[in-house]
Amino acid sequence: MKLPFRKTEAIESPYSIEVKELTKCFGSFTAVDHISFQVKKGEIFGFLGANGAGKTTTIRMLCSLLMPTSGQATIAGYDLATQHKMIKRNIGYMSQKFSLYDDLTVFENMQMFGTIYNIPRKELKERIASSLEMLNLQDQAKTLVYSIPLGWKQKLAFATAILHRPKIVFLDEPTSGVDPIVRREFWDLIYAAASKGVTIFVTTHYMDEAEYCGRISIMSNGQLKLIGTPSELKERMGVDSIEQVFVKFVER
Amino acid sequence: MKELRQILKKEFTHIFRDKITLFLVLAIPIMLVLLFGFTISTDIRHANISVMDLSADSQSKALIEKITASGYFEVVSYPKTESDINHDFKDKNIKLAIIIPQNFEEQLTNERFVTIQIISDVSDMNVASVLNNYVKAILYSFTEEYNGNSSSAIELCTEMRYNPEANSVYMFVPGIITLIMIIVTALMSSITLSREVETGTMRMLLIAPVKKVYVIIGKVIPYMILSFISTILILVISVLVFHMPINGSVWLLLFVCIIFMLTAASCGMAISALVKTQLDAMMITMMGLFLPTALLSGFLFPIDNMPYFFQLLANIFPGKWFIIAIKDVMLKGSSFIDIWEYVLILFGMASALMFISLTRLDRRR
Repeated sequence: MKLPFRKTEAIESPYSIEVKELTKCFGSFTAVDHISFQVKKGEIFGFLGANGAGKTTTIRMLCSLLMPTSGQATIAGYDLATQHKMIKRNIGYMSQKFSLYDDLTVFENMQMFGTIYNIPRKELKERIASSLEMLNLQDQAKTLVYSIPLGWKQKLAFATAILHRPKIVFLDEPTSGVDPIVRREFWDLIYAAASKGVTIFVTTHYMDEAEYCGRISIMSNGQLKLIGTPSELKERMGVDSIEQVFVKFVER
Repeated sequence: MKELRQILKKEFTHIFRDKITLFLVLAIPIMLVLLFGFTISTDIRHANISVMDLSADSQSKALIEKITASGYFEVVSYPKTESDINHDFKDKNIKLAIIIPQNFEEQLTNERFVTIQIISDVSDMNVASVLNNYVKAILYSFTEEYNGNSSSAIELCTEMRYNPEANSVYMFVPGIITLIMIIVTALMSSITLSREVETGTMRMLLIAPVKKVYVIIGKVIPYMILSFISTILILVISVLVFHMPINGSVWLLLFVCIIFMLTAASCGMAISALVKTQLDAMMITMMGLFLPTALLSGFLFPIDNMPYFFQLLANIFPGKWFIIAIKDVMLKGSSFIDIWEYVLILFGMASALMFISLTRLDRRR
């Protein structure tokens, strides 16, 4: 069932995500309404918006879980419409909902996801060892995920999501429900990944986290209303925190 | 294939970590067969009966002798009048009264036709019908001995042919296999698939560059293997403990079981593709598949006795076709040519359901 135009080459571009007029309708309801934006390679891009603004739908489309109704997107140089498989190989994903297997050990979880991403066995072992070292979880390799604290679980999920060295990681509210210290540590992990050239696409409800992003965008009713660096946006709205930007914007 | 192996490995790890489920899956079939075989068995022994012998000649005495010797009946009284019989029903707790008419021997020899009246206590319908069948079987063999030919004097029960002892275990085993396969294959796979949807791990698997088919079959195959083991356990117990015959080919029997397992697994997949939570998956599988299969597949209640609507409804549940097929193989010794239609129906259902679940998986969250 291979289509003749399904190429495996990527397009060279300074952007790792390019979205043009992307739209998703569910029946008569337009969840995502002609949004366009670009994300540069290695950038930390914050994707903000009230609940139900269309953030999760957008992420699901960008991860090729959901077919867009119309519009185009290029993810890691691959066309969203025709190169699903290549996109899947080059992205990582982690959601607010903890999504590792509770009844498998830390090591088994990482091994399972590493293997389905086709990382060679020996290489995988080394990568798991170094991830666990980075997370300070070496001693927990054989612990069932069920019994480790939520903060560690979220960090573990992040490490698992970047195990196959994706070009882009989509993080859907990765820090909801964890304490401020773990959130800080989590952002250290994000910075470390970004410094290696991984593009981070993150949604959050914590406004202090929005300040950590290179650029942010604010979505409302399926449309992308604002986009820019945190300081640009604060200046444009004449306020001194992203929280005020958000509130002011949502009130309008 | 490496991905498929990994998913299989993971699924087996889930199963072996969950000792309680594993135990239930393997122990329940054994318990069910033993339970049905030993206790819920509808075989009745030493039922109290009355015999009103109005002729009291040598043949009627021989018949009574034969009835007593069968071991199924205990003659507790010999009433003289109909009202005595009524008393026996109330006081002596008889299940059945047999009335042998006057001039029994003479009618049997000259007219070759005798009507023997049976009055039975139908307050428990199952018991009554089983006892009636016993009496019919005894009368049949009695007249056969007497005549030595088939122009028998008493109406016969043809349904008894494949199970002359009316041994109920033979009827229950195919039903139990069906229900166990539905629990282990359909229920467990619908639960395991919807659990991944519920916990969000399904999304992780779908985002990964793995073929959807691998994800699904990798999750379902382990349960098919488990249910195959259960089926073999049930068969071994039925043969060793209850001396159930397998008159047809064992390989054909196992082949039909595998086809039904595919059908049950596809039911599980299709159900999990329609729901979002484990609880929904469980409720729908139990109420929408398990219960109708138990009630409509002909294993507890004969399909022929159902209202027409339910007879039609029974056709859409795969259990009915499977039970017919394995009963034929085990009791009648049918070969593939005799049962291919049933196998084809099961296979068709499996393919259709599998198609639905694969196309619906995209829409999962």
